[in-house]
Amino acid sequence: MVNDRAEKYRSRVRKPDDFDAFWDHVLRQAAAIPLEAEVVPDPLRTSEDVEVFQVFYTSIDHVRVAAWYCRPARRAERTPAVMVLPGYQMDPPIPKEWARKGYVALSVAPRGKLRSNRQFNPGYPNLLTHNIVDRHTYAYRGFYVDTWRGIDFLLSRAEVESTRIGVTGSSQGGGLTITTAAMRPEVCAASAGAPYLCGFTDAIELTHTYPYEEINDYLRLHPERRAEVEETVAYFDGINFADRISCSIIVNIGLQDNVCPPETGYALFDRIGAANKRLYPYAGHGHDAGRARHSAVADAFFARHLLGREGSL
Amino acid sequence: MTSYWNDVLAALALYPARPEIEALPLRSTAFATLYGVRLTSLGPYRLFGYLSIPAGAGPFPAIYYPPKYQSVLEIIPQGTANLMRSRYVTFALAGRGQRNADTPYAALFPGLLTDGIDDAASYVFRGIVADSVRGLEFLRSRREVDAARVVLAGNDIALMTAALTTGATHVVTTPTLFYQTAELAPKSHAYPLEEINDYLHLYPARAEAVRRTLAHYDLLGLAPRVTAATLLMAGAPSTLLDGAALRPLATALRGPVTVYESQQSLYKDGLYSERWMAGQCGIADVQSILPEHWRD
Repeated sequence: MVNDRAEKYRSRVRKPDDFDAFWDHVLRQAAAIPLEAEVVPDPLRTSEDVEVFQVFYTSIDHVRVAAWYCRPARRAERTPAVMVLPGYQMDPPIPKEWARKGYVALSVAPRGKLRSNRQFNPGYPNLLTHNIVDRHTYAYRGFYVDTWRGIDFLLSRAEVESTRIGVTGSSQGGGLTITTAAMRPEVCAASAGAPYLCGFTDAIELTHTYPYEEINDYLRLHPERRAEVEETVAYFDGINFADRISCSIIVNIGLQDNVCPPETGYALFDRIGAANKRLYPYAGHGHDAGRARHSAVADAFFARHLLGREGSL
Repeated sequence: MTSYWNDVLAALALYPARPEIEALPLRSTAFATLYGVRLTSLGPYRLFGYLSIPAGAGPFPAIYYPPKYQSVLEIIPQGTANLMRSRYVTFALAGRGQRNADTPYAALFPGLLTDGIDDAASYVFRGIVADSVRGLEFLRSRREVDAARVVLAGNDIALMTAALTTGATHVVTTPTLFYQTAELAPKSHAYPLEEINDYLHLYPARAEAVRRTLAHYDLLGLAPRVTAATLLMAGAPSTLLDGAALRPLATALRGPVTVYESQQSLYKDGLYSERWMAGQCGIADVQSILPEHWRD
């Protein structure tokens, strides 16, 4: 029954007419800024099988962004890569496990996260509503670009097989996976779990848990700003990015997700433009979105699309 | 109790908490008011916490969220129904190094677990445990709190706090950091325990010093001091900290213990924990304070 109700839900999200023009302008602004990548070996985190580096690069508004970069100690001359994107509150992980699976891996800390918060630090809670009345300065404008610039970093690396780049994450990382797959045609495979930042205006009615509750808090204090808030978030809603996705993609959701309502997961999946897409709804699971079972699915998916192992998903 | 922890508590007692409490209208609702709290801990070090007080006449049961192993301080844990604040006093504390308590010390994640670990006297968790004790002392001082219903909910720090000071009537604990750490870390590649492996890989000569420090923090040593009713959240069967691995800890606790093994579902695990707390606190209509997607 939960499945039926969630699947039949009608999203309120509508795409602004100038959505593409807005983001094309942002991309042009970002492209004018040199990446200025810095790659610093991290001997504390390096082991016999995985080399670990701290990476820094410049993003839009000249904000310096940090990332963890891991590569297998023994690898081919050119190796497929996976970009790992973080949840809302989590500290970006060191993606050693991806290197152990045979990928070069980049884990980005978009602006405001630890190590990327010297120039921009609205804090948590607060990020979700920082400048939410103005799409030109809303927190996620730069935050999204920071993740897309991660692809530029991977493309700048000689050891990366540039035709085999994947992107993955869960929760906010799932939402960022959607926007990155939509905006970066170099991505050839994407796996998004429990996608956040999809169906903002739906989610704040469907659930009253943080982080979406930050928007309800804001509107309770500033009810007169609702129209401006709804106008802004439409430009940042993953559902509105989804029709631009053309790479192979899988999405997993939990039907008892108390953070990112499953209704929004279905609405997102419906709008994804890719021909090769598959949804994995997990009954009896919450914001984990069935991770314990799904991780093998995601591993097989990337093994097929990035490592070329036929027989995988 | 060991002299190590006696010394920590004695040092903490030298500094009064001197709380400053300020209402935060942005996060206040018709059913609860949120306050930012600043208070002093060992060091001296100024901490920050979020205190939520239900509307209406108390006293209310309370849930204390000691410092977590992450940079972000949450008002209530992500995914918890905001309406839960209508029934419980909640207090979430940032330990030194976490956001809002990161001046002058800003912790790194990963990195915190091994900061100063080769010397028990300067290990960063000496201060963090003291911070947590100070937080519980503060919460107990609030007249809105029903002293007979005070739940500590968190990782190892929750159990350690219940062991080191009075006031916890219930504990929900998910051991992560300090249960047989020296023995279990080499069996894992997952952070945060991987921090120990990283550290000893770079500094193998410090292994004995690390082991000595960790011995002060091992939950097994502190468990006999815990008399609160405890819900011990174990990992799924066959994982590093599953029910079998935690059996010695469950046996060592002096209060009544319920061991729950994870079903690898945040829904099932979370629902069990929410219902356990509500049941222990005499809240009959738990349905009304569950997240929408968890209700029957």
